[in-house]
Amino acid sequence: MAHVELSQLTKAFGAVTVIPPLDLDIEAGEFLVLVGPSGCGKTTTLRMLAGLETASSGTISIAGQDVTDTRPGERDCAMVFQNYALYPHMSVRDNIGYAMRVHGAAPAEIEARVGEAAELLGLTPYLDRKPKNLSGGQRQRVAIGRALVRQPQVFLFDEPLSNLDAKLRVEMRTEIKLLQRRLGTTTVYVTHDQVEAMTMADRVVVMHAGRIEQAADPITLYERPANRFVANFIGSPAMNFLSARIEGGAVHVGGQRLPLDPADAARLGDRTSVAFGIRPEHMRQAEAEAALSFTPEVVEPLGAHTLLLGHVGEEKVVAQVDPRFPAAPGEPCTVPVDMTQAHFFDPETDIRL
Amino acid sequence: MHQTAGRGDAIKHVFMWPAFLIVLVVTLFPLIYALVVSFQAIRIVPPLPPRFVGVENYADILSSARFWGSMWTTSVIVFVSVALQFVIGFALALALHHNVPGANLYRVTFLLPMFLAPVCVALIARMIFHPYLGPVNDAMSGMGFGNIPFLTEPNLAVAVLITVEVWQWTPFVTLLMLAGLQSLPDEVFEAAKVDNIPAWRRFRDITFPMLLPLSVAVIFIRLIEGFKVIDTVFVLTGGGPGTATETLTLFAYNEGFKKFNLGYTSALSFTFLIIVIIVGTAYLAAAQRVMRRYA
Ligand SMILES: Nc1ncnc2c1ncn2[C@@H]1O[C@H](COP(=O)(O)OP(=O)(O)OP(=O)(O)O)[C@@H](O)[C@H]1O
Ligand SMILES: [Mg+2]
Repeated sequence: MAHVELSQLTKAFGAVTVIPPLDLDIEAGEFLVLVGPSGCGKTTTLRMLAGLETASSGTISIAGQDVTDTRPGERDCAMVFQNYALYPHMSVRDNIGYAMRVHGAAPAEIEARVGEAAELLGLTPYLDRKPKNLSGGQRQRVAIGRALVRQPQVFLFDEPLSNLDAKLRVEMRTEIKLLQRRLGTTTVYVTHDQVEAMTMADRVVVMHAGRIEQAADPITLYERPANRFVANFIGSPAMNFLSARIEGGAVHVGGQRLPLDPADAARLGDRTSVAFGIRPEHMRQAEAEAALSFTPEVVEPLGAHTLLLGHVGEEKVVAQVDPRFPAAPGEPCTVPVDMTQAHFFDPETDIRL
Repeated sequence: MHQTAGRGDAIKHVFMWPAFLIVLVVTLFPLIYALVVSFQAIRIVPPLPPRFVGVENYADILSSARFWGSMWTTSVIVFVSVALQFVIGFALALALHHNVPGANLYRVTFLLPMFLAPVCVALIARMIFHPYLGPVNDAMSGMGFGNIPFLTEPNLAVAVLITVEVWQWTPFVTLLMLAGLQSLPDEVFEAAKVDNIPAWRRFRDITFPMLLPLSVAVIFIRLIEGFKVIDTVFVLTGGGPGTATETLTLFAYNEGFKKFNLGYTSALSFTFLIIVIIVGTAYLAAAQRVMRRYA
């Protein structure tokens, strides 16, 4: 049985349904990331898990116990908030040890656990400071420390890194991931940053308007997106979508013919209309190769590779090519396409074919 | 820039002197005039020419039992009523903040006492606590307590004064504390809830310390205002029975407008000012100590 189970969980604020029925099982020790565009209900879901928001219907259970109507404190979750939510008048030491002290832990044990957490998070030199005298990254670590020492059943993180600068974010990302590995605590982590989601998660749940679009490990999400939304959301730069027609084992797009991988050709048959998806980074030499010609309007050299931005027919297309690839703005060029990495979606339902 | 607008510029006097003169005439002159008068013996009725008497007025005040009596009465009324105002006001603010049932009704009405003139409040209270006509005594006799001389027994009269002060000024405390509560960040309390901190510990360890600076300010305002109480006392008991409920301001009023002993009254005002300054300073120093523990 899963450690955390959400079943048919819904949430409505007044007449507005934010979360339509949602089912999700989280395994013990799993690092689960909820990702999705702003306003898709990630925070709401997390807060329902924490008990800070009451579910409109459905049930939540943690470790086999129904906690749907349990007070937040009795769910044995620890939460890290986006804006840290530290106790401003307490020192770092007191912030971290406060919950233990209230619950009557022995002073020696508090001291030991706080020391250990501080050591782990590199906070030892700051133990006697007030949060206002700390940098954003340090505050974030205090908030994590406060969650750590409680040794809870479940960690809940709500965009804990979004207030940090890019460099610190990358560092903290690794630290949190390592920490979770070491502790083996079930973790639900909310972010709207897909890179964060992909790098940290055992399993990523892509949400959209309160619905789960796909829940899978990062590689599956990237290689076999369940629908057009996931395909578009995961990956940067985003996947190209071209309206196409399949005929005689080839994709016809904007008057060009790209021969299909034989397996795909057999599976798909002939279709008058599909959405043909290809990631910019898959416009490269490969065995099942096809070629796509277009006129780049903008050429963006990024160092490691170069982006070519142009149009095929009416539709925008981005290709990621080798820096030495011969291309100039306004001059037609032909890029190779790795057809083993082609994705096809139903143009009506957006579901993967 | 800085150099050119420097010393020799005559225009600065045009801007500076009017303000300086206004301050001088409006605030400093009356104060200084009163200070001078406080060292004189002046009587209007019967008129006597001003005569410099040095600190005699002050010496008289300090050796007068009536002064120390009014001092004691004022202190009891102020400290007890401010303490009650703060505790009740804070409790109400918490109830309103947490939307206790019935909060909405109270939210509309709770400010009313504050808008009433103290004289009206005192008149109403005088009716309510009237020995024969008041509803309180009706109820008391109904319960078999007999008639209670609320306004004519010294201790009871002080208690009634405290009650009226609390009734009138608790809303002020509630209003400010409610504003303070609403300005506190929600997440901090949510974090505490998730960490299973019981409600009263959340109050003691988080709400209270975070509102401490505001509390200090609110109590300070009420203390200073409380020391000036006169209208309520004047209407309710007139300082009686005897001088048992006479406050400092009422004492000064009686000296000034019943005996027209202006020198003495001025000296009394200054003594009063000094007392308020001492109490205020001592209070702030103590509050600083407590705050340093948290800040
Ligand atoms: N208290 C509330 N009352 C009404 N609507 C709310 C409330 N809280 C959230 N919502 C709505 O619920 C939806 C989901 O909000 P939520 O905060 O869960 O989004 P999110 O996925 O966390 O977004 P973000 O990435 O911007 O944090 C939003 O459309 C929001 O407007
Ligand atoms: Mg959010």
